[in-house]
Amino acid sequence: MDFENAKAQMRKGVLEFCILSILSRSDAYATDILNKLKESKLIVVEGTLYPLLSRQKNAGLLSYRWEESSQGPPRKYYVLTDKGREALKELESSWRELIDAVDSILRK
Amino acid sequence: MKKTFSVNLGNQVYYIDDDAYQRLQEYLDRIEGYFSDQKEREDIMNDIELRISELFSERLGIGKQVVTLKDVEEMISIMGDPRVISGKEEEPRFTRERRTGPRRIYRDPDDRMIGGVCSGLGAYLGIDTVIVRILFILFLIFGIGFLVYIILWIVVPEAKTTAQKLEMRGDSVNVSNIGNFFKEEFENVKKSFRGKKK
Repeated sequence: MDFENAKAQMRKGVLEFCILSILSRSDAYATDILNKLKESKLIVVEGTLYPLLSRQKNAGLLSYRWEESSQGPPRKYYVLTDKGREALKELESSWRELIDAVDSILRK
Repeated sequence: MKKTFSVNLGNQVYYIDDDAYQRLQEYLDRIEGYFSDQKEREDIMNDIELRISELFSERLGIGKQVVTLKDVEEMISIMGDPRVISGKEEEPRFTRERRTGPRRIYRDPDDRMIGGVCSGLGAYLGIDTVIVRILFILFLIFGIGFLVYIILWIVVPEAKTTAQKLEMRGDSVNVSNIGNFFKEEFENVKKSFRGKKK
């Protein structure tokens, strides 16, 4: 059986959760988010982040503002909206439920 | 010596080598091809161009002012394959057509038996000249072909300039295409020159 698709789907879901979580601490531009995701080895190639950001933005979970940068191009800072905060809360609780559920099965 | 282009990525101007430019263009086109929704596509392409701009600006400095093919390859290995970026299984639903110039009918003076009518018609219709010629000869046998040929010879203008020759093939007229055209022509001349020497 091919688990690649299942793994990819799982990672995608977790990634969306983590993006919201990173933004709940402070506004961040794509490279900030990327660095954090890379540190924790959640992301391999950077490009996969952008479709997720676009989807979350279009779902009203994120908005953004522009900031000039002293070097390089202007930065697009992503901001968590109220709707995004609610989504994050929901995801957090379902994440914990899921972990407990999976753990309880694995331990048996 | 290499020819360079200047490109605007995230509102920054970069000088980029010819080969690097081609690679970058092809890469961006492939990513774009995966996203059919216009709003989504614009968001993603904007963000990606911003990030590419940042990656390039990290690589440039006082001693290095031009983005090279190596920079583009490095950028691609960081950003990832277009299919992985899209997270989609299937091939892109639409590919961007680069040959977008309108086609016009001309007589082709470079590939002619008599007046270049058949080769011009072939280029316009996108079919092989030989087939057009055979069809014409068949017409000729049945009588009307000769007249039609003469009329077309008079009516259809000859492609004299490079721009007209590109239009004849349906290539859009821009600096890069004209450059390519001359490159091809030069190769042809070289080949025929070698052929004659033998």
